[in-house]
Amino acid sequence: MAVDWPAVHHRLEAARAAVERLLSLSEQDKKFLLKARATSLAVLPRSEAAEEYLEIIEFQLASETYGIELRHAGEVSLLKELTPVPCTPAFVLGIINVHGRVLSVVDLKRFFDLPNNALTDLNRVIVVRKDGMELGILADTIHGVRRIPQRELQPSLPTLTGIRAEYLKGVTAERLIVLDANKLLSDPKIVVREELK
Amino acid sequence: MTSSIGAKIGSGFGLALAILIVIGAVSYSSTAKFMDSAGWVAHTYEILDNVAGFLSAMKDAETGQRGYVITGQDRYLEPYRNAAAAAGQNLENLRRLTADNPVQQRRLDALAPLVASKFAELQETIALRRDKGFEAAAKMVLTDRGKEAMDQIRQLSGEMQEEENRLLKERTQEEKERAQGTKSTIIFGSLIALIFVMAAGFAITRNIATPLKEVSQAAQRIAAGDLLVDLPATNRRDEVGVLTQMFLRMTQSLKQMSEVAKQIAKGDLTVELVPQSEKDVLGNAFLAMVGDLRKAMREIGEGVDVLGSSTSEILATTKQVTTGAAETATSVTETTTTVEEVKQTAVVSSQKAKRVSESAQNVAQIAQAGRKSVDGTIEEITRMRSQMDLIAESIVRLSEQSQAIGEIVATVNDLADQSNLLAVNAAIEAAKAGEQGKGFAVVAQEVRSLAEQSKKATVQVRTILGDIQKATNGAVLATEQGAKAVEAGVKQATQSGDSVKALAESVTEASQAATQIAASSQQQLLGMDQVASAMENIKIATTQNIAGAQQSEAAAQNLQELGHKLKHLVGHYKLPASESKPLAMRAATGT
Repeated sequence: MAVDWPAVHHRLEAARAAVERLLSLSEQDKKFLLKARATSLAVLPRSEAAEEYLEIIEFQLASETYGIELRHAGEVSLLKELTPVPCTPAFVLGIINVHGRVLSVVDLKRFFDLPNNALTDLNRVIVVRKDGMELGILADTIHGVRRIPQRELQPSLPTLTGIRAEYLKGVTAERLIVLDANKLLSDPKIVVREELK
Repeated sequence: MTSSIGAKIGSGFGLALAILIVIGAVSYSSTAKFMDSAGWVAHTYEILDNVAGFLSAMKDAETGQRGYVITGQDRYLEPYRNAAAAAGQNLENLRRLTADNPVQQRRLDALAPLVASKFAELQETIALRRDKGFEAAAKMVLTDRGKEAMDQIRQLSGEMQEEENRLLKERTQEEKERAQGTKSTIIFGSLIALIFVMAAGFAITRNIATPLKEVSQAAQRIAAGDLLVDLPATNRRDEVGVLTQMFLRMTQSLKQMSEVAKQIAKGDLTVELVPQSEKDVLGNAFLAMVGDLRKAMREIGEGVDVLGSSTSEILATTKQVTTGAAETATSVTETTTTVEEVKQTAVVSSQKAKRVSESAQNVAQIAQAGRKSVDGTIEEITRMRSQMDLIAESIVRLSEQSQAIGEIVATVNDLADQSNLLAVNAAIEAAKAGEQGKGFAVVAQEVRSLAEQSKKATVQVRTILGDIQKATNGAVLATEQGAKAVEAGVKQATQSGDSVKALAESVTEASQAATQIAASSQQQLLGMDQVASAMENIKIATTQNIAGAQQSEAAAQNLQELGHKLKHLVGHYKLPASESKPLAMRAATGT
């Protein structure tokens, strides 16, 4: 197996040069890049004013994508320093400290009987609040904020039954399940009032 | 004639003996008388001698006396002294010898006083001469007393001599007569005895010698082989008669034997023979001979049969030998050709072996060079191993650096995540702000997009890092394998070096072997030459074998003819039906 050492040297040199080039962009290149970005940003969204939009936070639970209305969300946060609380239902994972406030974290996967994944550092918490009640909803991944047209939202699917159907606001064509935060927060099942006897 | 020959001979000899005894007796008496007469003659001569001696002694005495008287010397008395004794002795003898003759006795009686007187006179004279001298003695002598006595003595002595001479004459005559008588007795007696003995001898000879002569003549003829002798039959019962009879019987037996021999000579072996006695040597020998001849004839017959078959076999064998020899000759020719080919092959193999030896030397040199190059290869590979170590080190460092990059990327990812969250929160805040927060929402959207891009970039970088990691792992593995390969290469090269060394040794051995092969081929060539010469010898021997086999064949044919002749000869002999009878006879006769 003869090795074409000159070719190897050439390739190595080319790679090194490419890295150099990437790390030390010329002013012209920088300008070119920024200009390209600006151009792409400058493009106007198509006829969005005429329609009703829902702003939602898109997140992942197990293999399904869920969304929750932005107006109900307070903030998103990393799942840090979770403290399990005894004498609570299984869907209550525990409590966390978010900017000095203590919130309980609810795992909707257990609530919705979805397959359970282990907790990781990648898990996020979406803080929702209503009428002074704050709650942390566990999300596997947060995809981001989206605006979806109201008309795209379809009523519940026949496959979605049980408890999920109760909290459902609608489903998009992309199988994004939009939850009704009002119902979720006002549901007495989720409110825990138990006393230690 | 019943008396035996011994008796006959004895009677003849007895007659002769009796005659001899008579003659002997007569001769003895005649001889005895003759001897008596001769004794008397001798007696007479003795007396005469004594008389003469006496006279001589007397004369000696007188001579001695005279000498002494004359000389007076004692030594002259010697004869006198001796004569005295001698005269006495002679007288004594005469008295004894003439005792049978009274006349002579009387003369002796007369002589005695005379002798005494004479000796007394001589004594006296001698004594006188000694005592009184010569004169007295001469006077005494002159008395003639001595002379007278001496004369008387002489006279008496002469008478005695005369008497004796006369007696001698008488006696000699008588002796003569007696001798004549004896002679005639012996002559006549002998003649008579001769006649008798001759007569007896003639009779005995006639009685014994004639038949013996006849028998001896017959024996002579038999000795000469003539058995047709004819002896007259005799009824004599003495030894001669028995001899004759036995001789006749012997002749008959011999005739019988000769008849048997004739039959045997004619070839008739069926003859029956009875031996004369147990000690019949000839008969038993004949019997044994006949038996042996039968046996021999049978055996010869069998032998001839065997000879015939053997001859046939020999003929067959000789034919086989001849054909075999011919085949051998062909084979020998083929072998010779083969040997020639083998020789050429040996030459070729010798040359080949030489070439192999040369090329083996070349190969040994090449192997030497190969070993050197293998050593160089090992050195190179060792250097390569250190290079590989350097490569592995570099790759490990690269891997570590990519780990650092990974950490940086993780940080960037974390930052991107946090930016994303921040962007979401910003969007939430913007939403809270309502219409006024719309621009902020756009910024938040933009931030989020950047975060997404960063995240994607980090993902890409991570992927690339993973690829790099994989590549470095692969490189490390490859380097490791390379190192192993280098190790294996070193081992291989070492083995190659050993192999090359072994190859060189093998080649050296091969070279030696080739040299040995060349030498062996040379020896083989020599050996093949020897084989070729041996083959030539075998060829000659085979030719001789063929000639010998042909001679053998001729000899075997001669042998066959001889067998036929023998068969023919044996066929002449008549044999009894079985062998048992002669054997039994032999057992009975004890031979």
